[in-house]
Amino acid sequence: MSATATHATPAPAAPAIEVRGLRREFRVRQGMFAAPRQVIAVDDVSFAVPAGSVLGVVGESGCGKSTLARLILNLLAPTSGDVLVDGKRLADMDRRARARLIQPVFQDPFASLNPQRRVRDIIAMPLIAQGDVASDDMHRRVAEAMERVGLSRDQALRYPAQLSGGQRQRVAIARALVLRPRIVVCDEPTSALDVSVQAQILNLLAELRRDLGLTYLFISHNLAVVEHIASEVAVMYLGRIVERAESERLFAASRHPYTRALLASVLTPEPGLGVPDVGLGDIMPDPANIPPGCRFHPRCPIAVARCATEAPKAIADAAGLVECHLAESVG
Amino acid sequence: MTALLEVQDLRVTIGSTAAVRGTSLAVDKGETHCLVGESGCGKSISALSIMGLLPKGSVRETRALRFAGEEIGGHGEREMEHLRGNRMAMIFQEPMTSLNPAYTVGSQMTEVLRRHRPVTRAAAVDRAAELLARVGITAPGLRLGQFPHQLSGGLRQRVMIAMALMCDPELLIADEPTTALDVTVQAQILRLLAELQKDLGLGILLITHDLGIVARVADRVSVMYAGEVVESAPTAELFAAPEHPYTRGLLTCVPVPGKVKRDEPLGSIPGVVPRMQPGFTGCAFRDRCPEVTAACSGSFPRRTIGNDHQFLCTLEPGWVGSAAA
Repeated sequence: MSATATHATPAPAAPAIEVRGLRREFRVRQGMFAAPRQVIAVDDVSFAVPAGSVLGVVGESGCGKSTLARLILNLLAPTSGDVLVDGKRLADMDRRARARLIQPVFQDPFASLNPQRRVRDIIAMPLIAQGDVASDDMHRRVAEAMERVGLSRDQALRYPAQLSGGQRQRVAIARALVLRPRIVVCDEPTSALDVSVQAQILNLLAELRRDLGLTYLFISHNLAVVEHIASEVAVMYLGRIVERAESERLFAASRHPYTRALLASVLTPEPGLGVPDVGLGDIMPDPANIPPGCRFHPRCPIAVARCATEAPKAIADAAGLVECHLAESVG
Repeated sequence: MTALLEVQDLRVTIGSTAAVRGTSLAVDKGETHCLVGESGCGKSISALSIMGLLPKGSVRETRALRFAGEEIGGHGEREMEHLRGNRMAMIFQEPMTSLNPAYTVGSQMTEVLRRHRPVTRAAAVDRAAELLARVGITAPGLRLGQFPHQLSGGLRQRVMIAMALMCDPELLIADEPTTALDVTVQAQILRLLAELQKDLGLGILLITHDLGIVARVADRVSVMYAGEVVESAPTAELFAAPEHPYTRGLLTCVPVPGKVKRDEPLGSIPGVVPRMQPGFTGCAFRDRCPEVTAACSGSFPRRTIGNDHQFLCTLEPGWVGSAAA
């Protein structure tokens, strides 16, 4: 069912994390008597992320990017497919072993931190959950994680409500790092923050990756942010990765019309350019009602007759991956 | 020519917080003026106070608050109700919370018009359908009978815009109108606003935290920090030659594809926006400013460059920062 992922990144590093044919279905009732409908939130997604690099995942709301994050974190069970870390299936590990390998940072630090716990205890929670960490070791590791993310010692006894948004996100990052994981899944980590604070957090994440050799899966709707931090980018549309390429290549020469529309809608701070026409029309994608043929065709500005009937096959080549009838193979 | 909206020295105090501390701005007919700043800098409170919609317990003072040449600072609630939704309209960030979930799109839209104009229900429905079509909604007849939850976020925001236009307002205040939307839809909504402005000659006061939006749609920009406008200039000039250290700092924080190399740190401003107490003197940015000197604690005048670019700082125009790259 799944093609083995070929990744175009030149880094020879073995994949830290690999996803094979991941699929998740939900059954959604749209009324008391209506028959439940099937929503395929993530549809046959495969990729590999080399150790120490960053895969950015972009797409509009409802494209399945957060479901993908939750599947990878094992917060949701996949309908089919596997997630492997260092070649071992995550599903075969126990919860503690998984937590030592992979940790999340979520969008909203207001919602993801327990308001009734002190910063120190929030950060220690993953260590406590391991069950076998001695208490002086625990104090040392919490202090070390706090220092890493730029929190001062006197903040250890504060409650989340006493911190600013940026500091709260630092707490969430410290909590993710305290078990020294290999992989951090960041789901919109800066979307709730102001631009000046967003820059602080992005700089911190980049520094941590370099210093600790972390691998990130970085999910965001903000393409400019993704371009800044990711080495490779996957574009999701209605549950599928429709294009994947090295970051520079994707931004310079994208091959999928959806990627081009997304890129066109990035409003860079350059006066005089006006707001571009992204050419997508006003049909919105509905995950409960995926169109036949190419799932993007109703919004696609360059669709041809074939797109409405025949689903495009993935082209995996030297430039990455693209699912479009009109894209040409490279190399 | 008198400005459509003119605000001079607006001050709003909410409890013990000085939320707005002497904001002045003007919006001309057919002009888009962007008010930009981070959360908590007083941009939404400024907008609400212009509309007379401040929360209870807040105190507003102004030297002048003029709409179409008329002083409205002393208007009571009844007089403001005549203006609001009629000659000046407002749209908000999250259309789901500003539309009533219990009424159809059609009944909410017609209510606005029938409140302000002596029209029949049928005429109001026609006007609503016409405006829905105008904001790019296909099958307006169907949408009029639907409830807000049956619409997507982009459609809801279009409905909000159409509703704001029901009485042909002269001024539209838009508070983060696209923040809750996907980038693709955001571009569509911003294009729509620009088009409507051109056709209807609307003056728009657009509030946003997004410098990308500012650059693309504004004629003039006012940068707010801690309740005051620290810099105001025509858009091209503000981006080409920003003067206030806060404006310069903000511009380095934004990742621009192709401009900043991966893994090179973005510029950032340490610290957070402070909460201001009444009676504060000096520059509110001084604790975060890389160029701070003793003079920043005193009071100092607003500087003007050319005839149209003002900033509030002790530094000379064209200064070169000690920390400049």
